Amino acid sequence: MGNVLEVKELSKQYTKVLAADKVSFEIGEGEIFALIGPNGAGKTTTIRMISTLLTPTSGDAVIAGHSVVNEPEKVRESITYLPDEAGAYKNMTGIKYLRFMAGLFFSDIDDINNSVERAKNICGLGDRLEDKIGSYSRGMIRKLLLSRAVMTKPKLAILDEPTSGLDVLNAIEIRKMIKKMAVEEGMSFLLSSHNMLEIEFVSDRVGIISKGHLMVTGTSAELKERYQAANLEEVFERVVKENEIH
Amino acid sequence: MKFINLLKKELSELINIQMILSLVLTMGIFMILGNVMKSSIDEAIDSTKNVTINISDRDQTDFTKAIEQALLDINDDPDENTSVKLKYFDTTGDDYAKILEDNDINNIVIIPEGFTKKVEADERPNIISVNRMESAATLSNISDGNSSAISLIRDCISSSIASEYNISEEKYDLLEYPVDVTDNTVIDDKSAEISSGSIMAKISIQNMILPIIVFVLIIFTSQMLMNAIANEKIDKTLETLLSAPVSRLAIIGSKMLAAAIIALINAAVFMFGFSFFVSDSTTEVTETAKTAVEGSISMDEAFRQLGISLSTGDYILVGLQLFFTILICLSASLILGALVDDPKKTQNMLMPIMMLAIVPYMISMLADINTLPTPVKLVVYAIPFTHTFTSIPNLMFGHTTLFIFGLIYQILFFIVCIFFALRIFMTDRIFTISLNFGQKNKYKKKKKGAAASDEE
Ligand SMILES: Nc1ncnc2c1ncn2[C@@H]1O[C@H](COP(=O)(O)OP(=O)(O)O)[C@@H](O)[C@H]1O
Ligand SMILES: [Mg+2]
Repeated sequence: MGNVLEVKELSKQYTKVLAADKVSFEIGEGEIFALIGPNGAGKTTTIRMISTLLTPTSGDAVIAGHSVVNEPEKVRESITYLPDEAGAYKNMTGIKYLRFMAGLFFSDIDDINNSVERAKNICGLGDRLEDKIGSYSRGMIRKLLLSRAVMTKPKLAILDEPTSGLDVLNAIEIRKMIKKMAVEEGMSFLLSSHNMLEIEFVSDRVGIISKGHLMVTGTSAELKERYQAANLEEVFERVVKENEIH
Repeated sequence: MKFINLLKKELSELINIQMILSLVLTMGIFMILGNVMKSSIDEAIDSTKNVTINISDRDQTDFTKAIEQALLDINDDPDENTSVKLKYFDTTGDDYAKILEDNDINNIVIIPEGFTKKVEADERPNIISVNRMESAATLSNISDGNSSAISLIRDCISSSIASEYNISEEKYDLLEYPVDVTDNTVIDDKSAEISSGSIMAKISIQNMILPIIVFVLIIFTSQMLMNAIANEKIDKTLETLLSAPVSRLAIIGSKMLAAAIIALINAAVFMFGFSFFVSDSTTEVTETAKTAVEGSISMDEAFRQLGISLSTGDYILVGLQLFFTILICLSASLILGALVDDPKKTQNMLMPIMMLAIVPYMISMLADINTLPTPVKLVVYAIPFTHTFTSIPNLMFGHTTLFIFGLIYQILFFIVCIFFALRIFMTDRIFTISLNFGQKNKYKKKKKGAAASDEE
């Protein structure tokens, strides 16, 4: 299987903070990869660079053969991006929002209709799609946005903290939706989370990031074994300690 | 196709209750402003209690001297709180512009030769009133210096006629209108036989409506575009939009166009509403204007004679300037909208544009900018919107250089604004830019949070 995403020594220097320092990893087709680390670790910064929103200070990321530095327009055709804590246009109805977003990806009316149809099935909001988004709960908005992110069948869906701020049931539902898309449709996902425990259930591989450094990547089973830890939180703790000693 | 999709969405986002509310609110503000305007006009009319009358007596009879003395006698009358000063001038001919020019005055009342003979023959005599107009600033012209002089002269003639004859029914009419007045208005070196009041009546309608519409356009355009961008930033829908496969120019363009369309609709609605107010407050002036016009020349003819009628070319120039004004608003609000990182601060970001619009608006309503002290003038001219407010008066009174300078300044201002706006939106600055004080607070907090969770 080829790689959908190859991240090569990606760095971002804000005015004062070096938020990402030579981050490298790759994601295979149909794979769910999660960046995990505490708040301020540099997850969002890394993800925004891959989504072509931020220009890397150095390094590059190649998505479906296109470089984010040199061909950002091409990259945008292959990805969808769900920002953390994202909202949607409150005065629009759910269905209008889906139509509007599909219209940004496709010009052909059939493509648009197919996408919206898919999203309708995935989000499970039923008749509530006819209501204004302003009346939705947080969980409903997240489901709407997630179905939006996958309806156009992107090569890579990039989801920043897709379950943060949700209650347990909604979080589980979202995780299931992601898993299902990857298994049934072969879609690839790049996720991030500061909740290291729940990410184990959804991701195939994880990368542990702290203070802009991506320290290790691997499946959670591999990592737990290597660091003799019961869960990813303990893995994180040991990884950080180990790096402090060096 | 994608652009239409974007434009439709932007339009439907803009048309909401909030917009309608703010329209009503601004309407209210202007109604109040309008009333303030009206009362200060009334005040200006009232305040002509100290009159200096420039007078040229070409008849030089005992009767005219008696009138002049009677004018001065008013000073001794305890019932009248008017004080009168007379300044005498020797004049000849009917080149009134030259007369004002040579004597370095702005108005004069001329008693023509044969005035007394006419009175004696029981005909209605005639006096000539000449006024210079320097600008169309609504209030600086509102009281023409001669009108009070003439009403005083009327009173004097009435009383001298009354004392000379026994007042009879036949004399009643003559007593009430003892003198015909031929009004002349001078602008630069041209003059026309019309009262400056009539001209002001017409100009002031233009002068009130244009600034209001400009003001509404500026505020609405800016507010809408700024809100559109700020809201998208806050809800992070902007990130979603900018990561979609559409050109950023289309995204910015659709937002700018939608804001401009809605602003124009607003301005039209507003113009309609405001025209009621204008017709209310100017009926008085217009009525006088109508009576004045009867028997003298037509308004259009007078405008042409005075060289203050606007040609088609002038209107195109004014339109062009309005267009650039809107473009400046749009590009400036792109920048200001990008700076918003807190929903509560959106309104604050409108303040700079508000101020830049209100200052020239108020000044252009109350005074002639050219008569301000130079430092103040320079500051006011540095505000790009000033030139929009002064465009019609400038073209009307032949200050073409000033107009062209203003237009060029606005074009340059727009180029600078759009240059920075594009630099923000075409790069990742749109996500990293922030006002300095905002940045400190925001990232201090974030870092604290990060440190706390590191310790866990
Ligand atoms: N726009 C920005 N300007 C300056 N510093 C930023 C900006 N965004 C994030 N940072 C800083 O970069 C670091 C990484 O932030 P971020 O990528 O948001 O972390 P995470 O998503 O893992 O919580 C933090 O220290 C944060 O304060
Ligand atoms: Mg984050």
